[in-house]
Amino acid sequence: MSNKQRPHSRLRALAAVAVLLGVLSLPMAGEAQDFNFPRLEEKVKSFTVRIDMTIEISFGMNSNEQEDQFLGNIVTPDGLVLFNGSVLAAESGFMMHGFNVKMTPTEISVTTLDGQQYAAEYLGVDRYTNFGFVRITAPEGTKFDAVAFAEQPCKVGDWLALYMLLPDFIDPPLAADIGMVSVLVRSPDSIPLTVGFNSLQVGSVLFDRDLQPVGVLGPLMDPSAAGFDVAAMMETADQFGMPLLGVISGERLNKIIESPPTKGSTDRGWLGISLQALTKDIAGFWDIDAAGGIIVNEVINNSPADKAGIEMGDIITEINGQPIEIDREDKIAIFQRSIADLGPGASVGLSILRLTNGERQPVSMVVTLAQSPLAATDAPEYTSETFELTVRNLVFSDYMLFNVDEETFQGVVVSELKPGGLAYVGGLTIGDVVQRIDNEDVTSIADAEAILEKIEIEQPRELIFFVWRNNKTLFVNVKADWK
Amino acid sequence: MAMTSLRAVIAVAATLTFSSALAVDIQQEVFSARDKVMPALVHIQPVIKNYRTGELEKQAVVGSGVIFHADGYVVTNYHVAGKAERIICTLDDRELVPAQYIGGDPMTDIAVIKLNLDEYSGVITVAEFGDSDSVGVGQYVLAMGSPLSLSRSISAGVISTKDRYFSSDVRLPSGERTGRYNLWFQTDAAINPGNSGGPLVDLSGHVIGINSRATLFANNIGFAIPVNVVKKVTEEILANGKVTRSWIGLHCQALQELEAYFGTNRNNGVLISSIDPGSPAEKSFLKAGDIIMEVDGTPVSARFVEELPIFYGLIANHEPGSEIALKVLRDEQIYNFKVAARELGDLQGEVFECKGWGLTVKAITKQMQVENQLTDTLGVFVEGVKRVGLSDDGGLRRGDVIVRVGDEVLAGLNDFTKLYDRLTEQNLDKVFLTLKRSGATRFVVLPANRQEGGLLDEQ
Repeated sequence: MSNKQRPHSRLRALAAVAVLLGVLSLPMAGEAQDFNFPRLEEKVKSFTVRIDMTIEISFGMNSNEQEDQFLGNIVTPDGLVLFNGSVLAAESGFMMHGFNVKMTPTEISVTTLDGQQYAAEYLGVDRYTNFGFVRITAPEGTKFDAVAFAEQPCKVGDWLALYMLLPDFIDPPLAADIGMVSVLVRSPDSIPLTVGFNSLQVGSVLFDRDLQPVGVLGPLMDPSAAGFDVAAMMETADQFGMPLLGVISGERLNKIIESPPTKGSTDRGWLGISLQALTKDIAGFWDIDAAGGIIVNEVINNSPADKAGIEMGDIITEINGQPIEIDREDKIAIFQRSIADLGPGASVGLSILRLTNGERQPVSMVVTLAQSPLAATDAPEYTSETFELTVRNLVFSDYMLFNVDEETFQGVVVSELKPGGLAYVGGLTIGDVVQRIDNEDVTSIADAEAILEKIEIEQPRELIFFVWRNNKTLFVNVKADWK
Repeated sequence: MAMTSLRAVIAVAATLTFSSALAVDIQQEVFSARDKVMPALVHIQPVIKNYRTGELEKQAVVGSGVIFHADGYVVTNYHVAGKAERIICTLDDRELVPAQYIGGDPMTDIAVIKLNLDEYSGVITVAEFGDSDSVGVGQYVLAMGSPLSLSRSISAGVISTKDRYFSSDVRLPSGERTGRYNLWFQTDAAINPGNSGGPLVDLSGHVIGINSRATLFANNIGFAIPVNVVKKVTEEILANGKVTRSWIGLHCQALQELEAYFGTNRNNGVLISSIDPGSPAEKSFLKAGDIIMEVDGTPVSARFVEELPIFYGLIANHEPGSEIALKVLRDEQIYNFKVAARELGDLQGEVFECKGWGLTVKAITKQMQVENQLTDTLGVFVEGVKRVGLSDDGGLRRGDVIVRVGDEVLAGLNDFTKLYDRLTEQNLDKVFLTLKRSGATRFVVLPANRQEGGLLDEQ
């Protein structure tokens, strides 16, 4: 009896689970059926590539290598490829405890899904999306199938589909998934957030039901997480530590694709002030009627702000006629980003409240933005193989960090040392600012190079470095070891 | 044959006799040294104050000390008693006696406290200071104190090195730089936390050093301040309550490896490696790379780092305000400089706790200005910000300098405390502060917590 009943009840339980699953998955299944997946897969296959990359990670005296594989999307017919570059986000300048964390992609290859393999060169990572770019090195005239993004806005409730790249031992390589737009976020970034996707799928192209590519799955970035000299902004995370994902729109992508980031150069606009938010409390104390603004805390000498006559204590309330609604410290990066995005050379109209004779008077001015200063890791370097020493030029953030005067402070920064090398044994340390070698002033890596190359010929027994370290100077004797 | 072996036996016996006699002598000496100093040994339990977390935090610690004066003065470490609020001592007879802080010197990590003998019915013993200059490497020593709070403990060893140098970047737990003006005895007599401030004693029963530091995760590498330094510092503290030094803003470096570069002879001159901004040395146009040959006509040299404290001491011993004549070698020429010495002053300023604001602030001394790259000593230095509190809400950070409260410019801590008291009395709903942070001006509004009575002090 019981033996007969048991399979029956088991079946019933299974059916119940099936119904439950069915109820849960029904709407999803219904939406999924609206996508023509066979056609979509053909489309995706044409521009999807696998990127293999060796990344050299160096920090001060240590370095190691890691191999990474990414899904890439060919975005221009001449072979520009977009991928999730968050691993490389530190690439454009990340400084910890006086040494630079550097990520250098080497040995890049791009393989199309039909098996064609190409060499590629690394371009850089976009700091506002963490998307990285490589360019395929292909014979002149080679035309690739590229994804062309539609510039259409998403609505809450829109269903989107993507294909993710599976690890290379799995065949076939692509797997489909769908998700839904859940909210249109305005701050800290304008981005439609999605549900249903996961962080392994970041970098995949998102399609609407008409199979239009509307964007790429990306993280919601938190501009307030951008610290000192950290060029890349941090991804926001939900309470479980997973990044909040959304649609990086076609409109935004097309702009980035038009001028992709280039490591070592900056096309970001720069005003040259240090600043803080005009919070409601501060506005109240000063009796200012504004929804927010930027308080100018310091004007950098010879910066665009200085040249235009912006003064410490000014309050910027409008940029190009638009009110600046920044009333919290963590929104400051929104202003910084709008300045950066306007680009070097742009003329920017600013409305300012300035304290004159005890009253705040409106002043308007036009500032021509300059190019944003280089990050420490983008600074030009020189390496002496003999002394196993790498130095780089001083950059703007160094002056801020060291609290020294840009006009009078000079030297080159020790950025890498090999343990056991001559410079290391002599007593130089990472972060030292070399101001003189023997009796010659060092103002740039060109000076350092000239001196250290000359020494290769003269072969003296020792070199005396005069360095700045922890706000004091000292002499360091580096003994040579000529063979 | 027989003669030879007999002679050998006698020789062995003689050696044995001799060596056992030595052992007995040493044991007797240890006992006698013990009896001279142990009765003067003090177990010190201070409650020390710390303001780094943005509020007053009290901490009960344990250290050691030794009575060196018939009036009940006890020498110990500055890091034991320097920030003490209350001090309870246990004497050799296990009686508890309260003590009062007299004065201290963070630069040499020495402090003096005074036993309240009115509350003690016994008779105190005074330990005698010896002469640390005559101490030799390898000499037997005893360390006395309360390692890990285990009071009345003795350990024994030898002087491992008598001129250990620590760069002036060494800091006390309370943050002050230390060690610039003295060398250290290194000993293998076990020194553990709690030994701090206790005496290092030779076999004749003289105090030759004050045990101050130990190396963590090492076996028996401890350090004591030589007693000649202690004598000088305690004399000054007894006379003036503090140690006065001159400061001209020089940092020097051993010449040993740089003689060829600077073309100097051995044991000749002291190399200036760095000059503090705004210091008397800078105002007299001295610069890094200058080599000081004479100070007021006395030749000086620092070929090795161990010689630097002597030179620094020579400068410090000048009367503040006096002029120091320096003979300097620069670019193979001799130049004469006159530098106006100014008082080194306190390394750290006085601290004030703003309970209602969740904030502690500190007066800015000249040395704090130099160290923190500030342009002047105006305002107050933010010592700590309580993790949850109004100042934290307002975005204040340790290291900020508050230069204005409301519209009133602060000269120093006095102005600040007056304004703080006035504002907390008025119970305003907001306080506006102007800061300097890394050279830039910032503005902060401390929001009020109305439920808890606005900015009213919780006291």
